[in-house]
Amino acid sequence: MNEAQEITRILFQGFQTSSVYLFYVIGYTAIAIFLYGCYVQVRKYRRGQPDAAWGEFLARFWDMVKTMMTHRTIKRRDKAAGKAHAAIFFGFVLLFIGTATITLEYDILEPLFGITFWYGDFYLWFSLILDIAGVAAIAGLIYMMYRRKWLKLPKLDYTRPDREPGDPDYDRSAYRREDWAFLWVFIIILITGFLLEASRLIWLMEDPTVWEYRWWSPVGASIAHLFYGLGMGPEAAGDFRTGLWWFHGILALAFVALIPFTKVKHIFTASASLMFRDPMAGKRLPTVPEDQESIGVKTITDFTWKQLLNLDACTKCGRCHEACPANAVGAPLSPRDVILSLREFANNALEKKELPDEVELDVHGKDVGQVFMETLWSCRTCMACVEICPVAVEHVPIIVQMRRKLVDEGNMEPILQKTLQSVHKNGNSMGESKRKRARWTKELPFTIKDARKEPVDVMWFVGDYASFDPRNQVVTKSFAKLMKQAGVDFGLLYEAEMNAGNDIRRVGEEGLYEFLASNNISTLEQCEFNSIVTTDPHSFNTIRNEYPDFGGEFEIQHYTTVLKHLFEEGKLKIKKKLDYRVTFHDPCHLGRYNKGYDAPRELIEMIGCELVEMDRNRDNSFCCGAGGGRIWIPDPVGLEKPSENRIREAGAIDDLDVFIVSCPKDLTMFEDARKTAGFEDKFVVKELIELITECVEFDIEEPEDDDTAAA
Amino acid sequence: MKILVAVKEVASLDDDFEIRDDQLDVDEDFLLYELNEWDDFSLEEAMSIKERSDTEVEVVVVSVGPDRVEESLRKCLAKGADRAIRVWSDEMEGSDSITVGRILAAVAEQEKPDMIFAGVQSSDNADASTGIAIASYLNWPHTAVVAGLDYTPGANKATASRELEGGLGQEVEISCPAVLTIQLGINTPRYASLRGIKQAAAKPIDEVSLSDLGLSAEEVGADAAFSRVRRMYIPEKGMATMIEGTTAEQAAKLAQIIKEFKGEA
Repeated sequence: MNEAQEITRILFQGFQTSSVYLFYVIGYTAIAIFLYGCYVQVRKYRRGQPDAAWGEFLARFWDMVKTMMTHRTIKRRDKAAGKAHAAIFFGFVLLFIGTATITLEYDILEPLFGITFWYGDFYLWFSLILDIAGVAAIAGLIYMMYRRKWLKLPKLDYTRPDREPGDPDYDRSAYRREDWAFLWVFIIILITGFLLEASRLIWLMEDPTVWEYRWWSPVGASIAHLFYGLGMGPEAAGDFRTGLWWFHGILALAFVALIPFTKVKHIFTASASLMFRDPMAGKRLPTVPEDQESIGVKTITDFTWKQLLNLDACTKCGRCHEACPANAVGAPLSPRDVILSLREFANNALEKKELPDEVELDVHGKDVGQVFMETLWSCRTCMACVEICPVAVEHVPIIVQMRRKLVDEGNMEPILQKTLQSVHKNGNSMGESKRKRARWTKELPFTIKDARKEPVDVMWFVGDYASFDPRNQVVTKSFAKLMKQAGVDFGLLYEAEMNAGNDIRRVGEEGLYEFLASNNISTLEQCEFNSIVTTDPHSFNTIRNEYPDFGGEFEIQHYTTVLKHLFEEGKLKIKKKLDYRVTFHDPCHLGRYNKGYDAPRELIEMIGCELVEMDRNRDNSFCCGAGGGRIWIPDPVGLEKPSENRIREAGAIDDLDVFIVSCPKDLTMFEDARKTAGFEDKFVVKELIELITECVEFDIEEPEDDDTAAA
Repeated sequence: MKILVAVKEVASLDDDFEIRDDQLDVDEDFLLYELNEWDDFSLEEAMSIKERSDTEVEVVVVSVGPDRVEESLRKCLAKGADRAIRVWSDEMEGSDSITVGRILAAVAEQEKPDMIFAGVQSSDNADASTGIAIASYLNWPHTAVVAGLDYTPGANKATASRELEGGLGQEVEISCPAVLTIQLGINTPRYASLRGIKQAAAKPIDEVSLSDLGLSAEEVGADAAFSRVRRMYIPEKGMATMIEGTTAEQAAKLAQIIKEFKGEA
């Protein structure tokens, strides 16, 4: 047996002192460049506005570590890429720890304290683990190369929907070159590492402390045998090794030096972005302090440091690009490109030593790097991008902040201006008189309590579409009957209810939102009730998540949860089951925004329907196109509407009877889309409430005509 | 350099409304007030001249009316007007458009603007005479229904294109100062965000009374008006009816109506 101390790896054996010095000079230079790059990046972020994301540091850190260790977000909707990334990531982390261990002993502990540990069993296990790590990383990189070259994934196509071919920033080929440079440099570093290992083994094959333990480096040993078999002797191996050593070393150090300047920086920016993730991003938009003069984002420095960090975290994985309903129908918006445009803009403007003039910092406009107004107005704030982003980029708040500036400057469709003015004047988006809001109640065979005048258990916040739109009124009346049948003590705000403001806020008209929210809050506060119910997911979201910021703390439930409980408690009973073949469309504001995926599905099961899911369901549900105020802006003629895209997806289900929705805006959008996309005689669009009404046992036999029920 | 923009807060009808007991107007409970649509355009025209100009241009909005008019003036301030003047004394109640023109002319004499813009007409009374009345009291040149304007602040002439009936256009050169009444569509009015309106609350609105203008009570109000409303009413419904039902039912009903009309049925 050999002495344990002797079993280790040579480091600078055979080097002249000057060579060792040279290596250290190169090493320190690389570290200096790396640190300078980090400084430039941090200076860039610090040029943004303050952000409150530093709170709960430990919890956030722990959450980030968990996300990174499990690769949860990277594996979503792309398992293979997730696994390949995990192989590269863990391979890289282990190799980094390995190299750091050597530095720890050789440069710190041994010269300072005479402590050594990198020998014997420790060294052998170290050697084995690093070999495995290297193989894992190479395998991952090879898959990534295969994926980029042969899979032709649309999400990896960097051409932009918001620019024309020929525009200077249209195809972003520089990114493509960078991707390949990264893959090749990394894989070459790894491969030369193994070749170095093999040549060292041959070179030192006479030394039993090396050769006898060679299989602890299985990859290196295999290559060594191969080379030896091909005729490489110890001397040739030694010469080969010297050249390769410098090549490998300089390449690796250059890689380190370039981290802050290339896409490799995502190892820091993506982790930091994950750590500073706001779980309420988009669901609760930022308020504007009363005394703040300007609103929204005009210049790149109006973004917060966290948003600037978000821009750098993007790895161009294209998942948001793929999920975006605007992009899917050919609108000039890809969330990825908004982020990349702004990133390029920030890099140009904010990495300089001196901050450029304010005019050069304007992110709105038609120039390279600027974001078009049409792009911002194409967003439906459906949150599909924020939901799927593996590195917690928060696109929607960024877009809404930019829209706030557009609204402030009046840069919007005239028709949208009209709607906003009408919302201010009438309190609803339908251009209807306030007095008409509760007119639908007159057709009911009973009177609903006026919650302004008497206490109720449940306050029903109806919302605009459910109140005014004739198709939706059918549903609204049905829901009233269900509540009545279940014996719920409920009431309405009648004419005092205003548009809840969810979509007004997402348009970017923050002042109008404040007006609506504060009016509704003060009206609600004057009433006596225990909880709120609504059939409108949009109202649900803003009352639940955003009213608290304005002092309105209310308990609110979407009707699907309320009905589920009423069935469970036996207050509603199923009289007959339906044998329809149905599919369910998750509304953005109920699903992604508020994670209400299960209650509607349980109700569908309860009434006996056979639920066939569309491919894009639950968190990947495809927006109907109405969100973010887009219901008030006509979609361009000739382009497919998101709702038509969605209806076609449902149309692919064989023998579908009913397309179920649970949102008033969805009902409007999909009733239209069913006709325009040509599925009128294939299936029907129904609110879940309508199907439930068909099944529930009513005390008074429900006649066809509402009017006769009153008699 | 100053442009005076005369604006009006007009009444619009709610869906259901009732006529007042004296049958002279709609019951105020059923009226909604907002800035006259034409005035959005004349203010925008003044604002765009101000924004394009190399010299300092002050845009002053003025309106004759009670307290509630402040809301519309705030909207103008939110859109960028430098100052707002609200003219009111109780004696002014009942003034007709010509009398309002007299009041505004008095304001103009104090403000000494280089140009006055007014809307072609107001959407509630549709007299289309206030702007011209101002010019008449000031003895200034005027041109009406301006759909395009070429004017450099401080110049002694402006070129206005006017919209005439029958699709005709007319280009008019006019000496300044002048009164122009601005037509819809001359520009795209900007949006006054609610935040802007809120912030405009901090800007003062000058309040001017009858005596401030050197006018006497006899010169304004219902008694000085050249016209007065005798009756407001809802005209009898016409003969139009909506035929409901399926296509076949509608056709049958239509055929029956035709037969009745011809006296065959």
